[in-house]
Order: sequence, then C-alpha cells, then structure tokens
Amino acid sequence: MNIKTGRAWVFGDNVDTDLIYHNKYLAETDPAQMPQYAFEYYPGMERFATEVQPGDFVVAGKNFGCGSSREHAIYCLKYAGVPCILAETCSRIYYRNAVNNGYPVLFVKGLSAAIRDGSVRTGDRLEVDLDNGVIRDADTGAVLRGDAVGDLEHDIMAAGGLFGYMRNSAKKGEA
Amino acid sequence: MQPRNILVLFWAADPWYSYRVNRSDTTCDPRKRKGGICLEQTVIMKILSHAAGRPVSVGERVWCGVDLASARDFGGANCVLQFQKEMGTDAKVWDPEKVAFTFDLQAPSHSEKVSNNQKIIREFARAQGIRHLFDINHGIGQLVMLEAGLIRPGGVVLGTDSHMNLLGAVGAFATGVGNSDVAAAYVSGKAWFRVPETMRITVSGTFRPGVCMRDLITRIIGDLGSGGMDYLAVEFTGETIERASLAERITLCSLVTEMSGKIPLILPNGEVLSWLSARVGEDLTACVAALRPDDDAAYCAELHYDVGTLEPMVSCPDSPENVRPVSEVAGTHVDQVHIGSCSNGRFEDLKAAYDVLVAGGGRVDPGTRVIITPSTSEVQLECVRWGLAQAFLEAGIVFTNPTCALCTAEHYGTLPSGDVGAATNSRNFIGKVGKGSHTYLMSPMTAMATAIRGEITDPREFLPGAR
Repeated sequence: MNIKTGRAWVFGDNVDTDLIYHNKYLAETDPAQMPQYAFEYYPGMERFATEVQPGDFVVAGKNFGCGSSREHAIYCLKYAGVPCILAETCSRIYYRNAVNNGYPVLFVKGLSAAIRDGSVRTGDRLEVDLDNGVIRDADTGAVLRGDAVGDLEHDIMAAGGLFGYMRNSAKKGEA
Repeated sequence: MQPRNILVLFWAADPWYSYRVNRSDTTCDPRKRKGGICLEQTVIMKILSHAAGRPVSVGERVWCGVDLASARDFGGANCVLQFQKEMGTDAKVWDPEKVAFTFDLQAPSHSEKVSNNQKIIREFARAQGIRHLFDINHGIGQLVMLEAGLIRPGGVVLGTDSHMNLLGAVGAFATGVGNSDVAAAYVSGKAWFRVPETMRITVSGTFRPGVCMRDLITRIIGDLGSGGMDYLAVEFTGETIERASLAERITLCSLVTEMSGKIPLILPNGEVLSWLSARVGEDLTACVAALRPDDDAAYCAELHYDVGTLEPMVSCPDSPENVRPVSEVAGTHVDQVHIGSCSNGRFEDLKAAYDVLVAGGGRVDPGTRVIITPSTSEVQLECVRWGLAQAFLEAGIVFTNPTCALCTAEHYGTLPSGDVGAATNSRNFIGKVGKGSHTYLMSPMTAMATAIRGEITDPREFLPGAR
C-alpha cells in the first residue's frame, strides 16, 4: 500500500500562480532554486518556504493554480519535497503542468468545504493512500476521497512525466 | 441585464465528473452518433478532429499536431534548457518553421538574469535555424505573431503565456502551456489535449457611448466567477460579435482565461477576415467555412447577453471576479493608472482612451502616475502617426515601448505597498503588481477618465452625448 503521511499546509479556493510562485522570480531557470520563493506572496503563508518539510502536503480548495502558465509553480513544490497536491479542483494549465512532470494531483471532492469548516487545518497530520485515493486527517478524524485521473494522464504520470511517456511510446513504436 | 436562457446540462451540477473520467460525449444526442463518435461538432471539435487526424468526441484525450510552438523570454529559456537536457545539445527541433520566440517579459531587459535567458534563446534560434524570433523591439508575443501572419483559423498554437488563448479571436486553438509541453513539442511536433465541452455565449445589442467590450467581459466574469469556464471551450456569437473589431474580439477572448476557460473562439468574418487573410498571405474564407459549427452541435451551456443597457464595470481588488459597476466605486482614490496589456493594448483601445482624454481637457491629474503601453511596435507606430503619442506626452503621461509592462512585476510601474492602481490589465491578484498594493481593473475609457481625476471616474462624465 502506498500510504504517505505528513503535515498539511492548507490554502483556500482560487489560489493563483502568483501566490504560489510570484512573477518576480520568473527568470529563474533552475527548478532546484524555486522552492525558496514558494507562497512568498500568500498572506499568512510567508513562512511556508522556510518551514515546509519533505513529505508535507499542500491542501487547497477549488481552482488551485489559476492564472499563469508558469511551470515554476509546480517545481517550487515538487523540489521542496511535497509528495503531491490535494485539491478539490485544479486550474487546467496547472493540472497539465503537474501531469507533464509526473507530479501527482489528487482531486478531492468536498475538500473546499472541509477547509472552510476546519476539518482539515494547517499543521494537521494527514495520511494519504495514493492507490485508493483516501485521505484521513489524523487530528480531526475527517476522511475524504480523491478521484481517479484519466487514462492518458495516469500513463504520463506513471512514466514520470511527458518526456518519459514519449520515450516509452517510442520504444513501443507509437506516437 | 441578466444572462438569460441558461440551459445548463450536466456541466453546472458537477463540472468535474465528466472531466476526470474518460467518458464518451454525454451531451451528444445518441441518434447522431456513429461508432461512439458525435457527428455534430462544435468549432473546437472540428479543430481538434483536424489536428488529430480523426473525428474526436468530448472528453477523450487526443494527440494533436502543433502548428506553432512559441515561448517568451519568460519560460523560453526553460524550454530550451529542458529540451537540451532531455535530448542532448545537438538535438534538432522537429520543424524550425513552426517554432517561435517572443521577448515581452522584460523588453529591453534590465536584469542580468533575463538578459542571459534572452541570450540562451537567441543562440538556440540561430543554431536551430529558427527564423521567428521577435526580439525586444516587437511587443506582446501572441499579438506580434498575429500581426506577422503566423496565426491561422483552426491552427494549434502553444505558448508559455496563459493569455495565448486570446488568439481564439481569429478562430485559432491557442493555449497557454508550461515549458514541458513546448519542449516536448520540439521533439514530436505534438501535444495532448482533452476535447472540451463547449459553452456558447450569444451577444446582441449596441454599446452605449462610454461602454465597450471590456465592460461586457468584466460583467461576464462577475456573473460566472473565476472558475466559471473551467476546462471549457467558449464560442462567442451574435450580431454584436459579428460587428466587433479585431481589437474588441481580442479583449473579449483575452479575459476568458480569468474564468479558467480553455479556449474562446470567434470565427473571423468581414473586415477581420480580410485583415487576417492579408497578413497570412492567403484567402482564408474556405478555411473559416470549414470550422463553422454544425447546426445541432451540442453545447453544455448557452448564455445570452444584450449590451444595450450595460454600464461601465470594474473588477475590484483582489480578484477579477470581484465585479461591480463603476458607479459603486466612483471617487476611489488611485495612485497610478496603466493602460495597455494583451487585453487592451491595441490601437482602438488607446484611441478610445485618447478620445476621453481630449474630451476631458487633455491633461491627467498631476498627482497621478499614468503609464500607457502599446501592445506592439505596430500599434506604437500608429499612435505616433495619428498624433496620439504627442497628446499622451503633452498630457503628462509616460508613453512607453511595447511590452507586457505591469503584468510582470519586475517591470516598470511596480506599486509600493499601500498604493492603489487602476489598470486595463487582465489580473489584479493579491500583490501581483507589488506586495501590499491593490488594483482595480477597467476599460481604457474608464482608466483614462480615472487618470484625469485621480479617482475612479465614469468615462461618460466626459463623453458628449453619453448621459
């Protein structure tokens, strides 16, 4: 069973890419340098970059990652050691960028409401069963369910990203 | 003016259901299907069917040929470096004629980092034989490529810019992507897409003086919200759209991104079609006719707007969806006004602002910083040719070269904490133009009226016959 445990960093609905990774730092080309800028512009979450631990989860409501197409907003979390993003929904370009990097995003029905009513809070310990899509908040006892992704997205993620997928396809003589 | 005839099918009840799971088209009448494929197609289905080389259904994932893979100085160096890391420094792009670069983030660059990124791109383009490199003297990428004749109706265009999809204003399927999609397209010439459901918005009526397309799309954002077009294609149609100029269509399409829409689409007609044909160097009439939606194509939602009674609108801090009529926030003090951006930086936009300036006495408030940024060098030149540039300078306005300007915080015009901006930009997210600052989004006419008074002002106060 693929169960990950870690602390939650909880965000609201419609978190845009400038809040995740501000356009001030767009000239950065080294993904490993990007975590230091994560959520710098998110009021109340300025400490994220210095305090986030590998294994911590980013938890958000609806339309996470709306706004710009910057892939920096994926790298700044992936390279900080955040194992996956839990969101009720993701904005489309953000979702594409996650898939293309083999970075798991779990869509969790009811998460936006759970955040608003305090059943998932920043600092709570989460247990995330990635295989079955079950999320349990060990501190509040809340249990939520994630949904499966489409077949192609699943295959791209399983290949570690778009380039891995293309290599696999080339080996099989497809695409 | 309420949206009418909202025929929401499964989409509004649960937008995610159809998205996450590979499903056949639930919006298509089963009697019109053959082998699971819907025979009645919307515009985006026609485009993706052509690009995929087979008929497509809503909800399925398809690999499409890419007609143009573009990147900016933001993201461009990341594309180049990723391509070289994955494929080796000697690897060649699949087709140098289908690759383009535009420099609009910092043009000219004012930091070593961006200068280096631009150099990485220039050297890559030279080594790969890529001709379409639009350096710092051109302007905002997608508009520059449009003027250069690189964009065709039905074309599949990638770009590292979330407002790429404004090219749907000429019927292209252009979409913002990250560096991975662009770098992968350099290898395969392909990209994957989910075939989206289509929403149709029909617009009728004539704008009253002082009211324009920006006010309509602001109103729509207020009605539908930030996620209101999530994953959807949107066809704009109706008499108002058919009469609209290219600039108006660009404004309308550019802000669909603020509702998380995938692609807005308007099929070119009349003067827009003639203009585009001249730019591409080919009569595109047949090309457009082939994209026309089938009569009984399935739409997941239909909205109708009549603009005859529309008022000037603003998006208040700190979200585009926080929409109110100008009348409710009139008198709010602003420190800086910016007119430009990919949404409202065309000549017609600047001309509309100019008309308000002239009607309002030709001077802006001396205590307000006012910046006007044309979207392309072609627009800039027109402003010089027609006397707008001189009028702006005499009014006390900073009239700049074409760039993305304030939409990138490290450019000029960054707001200090506590300042309030008024802008025709597409976004006013928290701290986007400077930590602790707040921005109201509005039309070029409202922005200029606001510049004249130094507080948010209804442009109809200056325009003769508007009240």
